[in-house]
Amino acid sequence: MYHSIYDLVTGPLTWLGFGVLVLGGLFRMVSLYSLAKKKDASSIAYNKAKYGIRSILHWITPFGTLGWKENPVITVVTFVFHICLLATPIFLGAHIDLWDLNFGVSWPALPDHVADIMTVLVIAAGCFFAYRRVVDKTVAFVTTWKDWFALCVTMGPFITGFLAYHQIFNYQFMIVLHVITGIAWLLFIPFGRLSHAILGWYSRVYIASEFQGVRHAKDW
Amino acid sequence: MKKCITLMLALAAVVVFILPAFCQEDITEIKDPAFQTLKRPAVPFMHDEHNEKAGLDGCLPCHHEGMENGEFVEGDPAKCADCHEVAPTDDSTDLKTAYHQQCIQCHEDAAKGPVACGECHVK
Ligand code: HEC
Ligand code: HEC
Ligand code: HEC
Ligand code: HEC
Ligand code: HEM
Repeated sequence: MYHSIYDLVTGPLTWLGFGVLVLGGLFRMVSLYSLAKKKDASSIAYNKAKYGIRSILHWITPFGTLGWKENPVITVVTFVFHICLLATPIFLGAHIDLWDLNFGVSWPALPDHVADIMTVLVIAAGCFFAYRRVVDKTVAFVTTWKDWFALCVTMGPFITGFLAYHQIFNYQFMIVLHVITGIAWLLFIPFGRLSHAILGWYSRVYIASEFQGVRHAKDW
Repeated sequence: MKKCITLMLALAAVVVFILPAFCQEDITEIKDPAFQTLKRPAVPFMHDEHNEKAGLDGCLPCHHEGMENGEFVEGDPAKCADCHEVAPTDDSTDLKTAYHQQCIQCHEDAAKGPVACGECHVK
C-alpha cells in the first residue's frame, strides 16, 4: 500500500509536475508574447534587450533601485526568501541523491545543516509576509484569496520537508505529503500569482524600454 | 579443585573466544567507519534476520567481487568499503551510492522494505 503510493507520487506524478512546469511555462511565455505582439505591436517595437537586461540587473541587486531602498526590511526579507526558495530544493543533498540514483546526474550539494537553516529562513520569511498581509492596512486592502493560495503552495514543501527531515510526526506520511506539496509547487509556477517567476521579466523589459528608450529616464 | 579449575578455564575460553565471535556475526546496524563523520543516523540492519525475512538464500544479491556484462560476480563477503571508495577519482561506484543502489533497488523491485531516506536513517 505505502509502496504503491510512494511509487505513484515519486514516479508519474513527479513527471507530471515537471512536465507542466516546462511545457506550461513555455506555453504561457509564447502565448503572452504573441498576444502582446498582436495587441501592442507599437510598444513591442521599442523593446530592446539592452534596456531590459540593464533594468533586470538593477532590480536583482539588493538596494540596487529606489524601490528597494524605500523599505530596507522588506527588501532584505524578499531577497533572502527568494534566494533560499530557489537554492534550497536545487542544491539539497537528498534531492541530488535522488537525481543521481534515478538519472545518474549530480552536482555539488549544500551541507544538510545549511539547507536546514535556509528552510527555516523561507518559513520565517513566509510568516513575515503573512503577518504583513493581515496587519498592514494597505497590504491587507489589496490581498485576495489568490495571494493566500500562492503563499500556502509556496510554503508547503518547506514545512513538510522540514518535518520529514527531522522525522517529526509519522515519517512515511510526511514524506509523501512533502512530495505532493512539492509537485503542487511545480504545477502552479506557470499559472496565477506564482507565474511572476517566469513572466515578471516581460514587464521589466517593457517598462525598461519605455523609460530608457522613450522617456530617457531610469526605471530603477 | 582440579574440576573447578578446568571449569573456570572452559568458561574463560567461552568468554574470550566464542562470545566475541557471536557478537561479530551479529550485524545489527550499518555504520561504516569509512565515512568518518556520519551526516545521517546509522541504518538498523539485522543481517541474518533481514535475509531470512526477505527470503534471500544466497549471498550474491549483495556480496560480490566485481561485475561482468552488467551482472555481479559472486565473491567472499567483505566490507563494501574495501572496494568502494567514499570519493573515487575514476567512474567506479562510490560507497554511498553502492549502499543506496543495492538496498533501494531491491526494495523497489520487491515492493517491500524501506525506500525513503528517513525509513533507513532512523533517528
Ligand atoms: C541484503 C544484502 C546481503 C545479503 C543477502 C548477505 N549479506 Fe552479508 N553483509 C551485508 C552488508 C551490507 C554487510 C556489511 C558490509 C560492511 O560493513 O561493509 C555484510 C557483512 C557480512 C559479513 C562481515 C564482513 C566483514 O568483513 O565485516 C559477513 C561474514 C557476511 N556478510 C556474510 C554473509 C553470508 C555468508 C551471506 C549469504 C549466506 C550474506 N552475508 C548475505 C549484506 C548482505
Ligand atoms: C571485492 C571488491 C568489492 C566488494 C567487497 C564490494 N564490491 Fe560492489 N562492486 C565491485 C566492482 C569491481 C564493481 C563494478 C565497478 C563499479 O561499479 O564500481 C561493483 C559494483 C557495485 C555496484 C554497482 C552495480 C551496478 O549495477 O552498476 C553496487 C551497487 C555495489 N557494487 C554495491 C556494493 C555493496 C553494497 C557492497 C558491500 C555489501 C559491495 N558492493 C562490495 C567490487 C566490490
Ligand atoms: C536482494 C533484495 C534486498 C536487498 C539487496 C536489501 N534488502 Fe532490505 N529487504 C528486502 C525485503 C524483501 C524486505 C521485506 C521483508 C519483509 O518484511 O517481508 C526488506 C526489508 C528491509 C528492512 C525492514 C526490516 C523489517 O524487519 O521490517 C530494512 C530495515 C532493510 N530491508 C534494510 C536493508 C538495507 C540497509 C539494505 C542494504 C544494505 C537492504 N535492506 C538490502 C530485500 C532486500
Ligand atoms: C534502504 C535504505 C536506505 C535508504 C532508503 C537511504 N539510505 Fe542513505 N545509506 C544507507 C546505508 C546502509 C548507508 C551506509 C550507512 C552508514 O555507514 O552509516 C547509507 C549512507 C548514507 C550517507 C553517507 C553516510 C553519512 O551518514 O554521511 C548519506 C549522506 C545518506 N546515506 C543519505 C541518504 C539520503 C539523503 C537518502 C534519501 C534520498 C538516503 N540516504 C536513503 C541506506 C539507505
Ligand atoms: C517533486 C518531487 C520532490 C521529491 C521527490 C522530494 C523529495 C525530498 C526528500 C526525499 C527529502 C529528504 C527528506 C529527509 O531527509 O528525510 C526532501 C527534503 C526537502 N525538500 Fe523535497 N522533494 C520534492 C520537491 C520539492 C520542492 C518542489 C521543494 C521546494 C520548493 C522541496 C523542498 C524540500 C525541503 C525544504 C526539504 C527539507 C530540507 C531540510 O530541512 O533540511 N522539495 N525532499
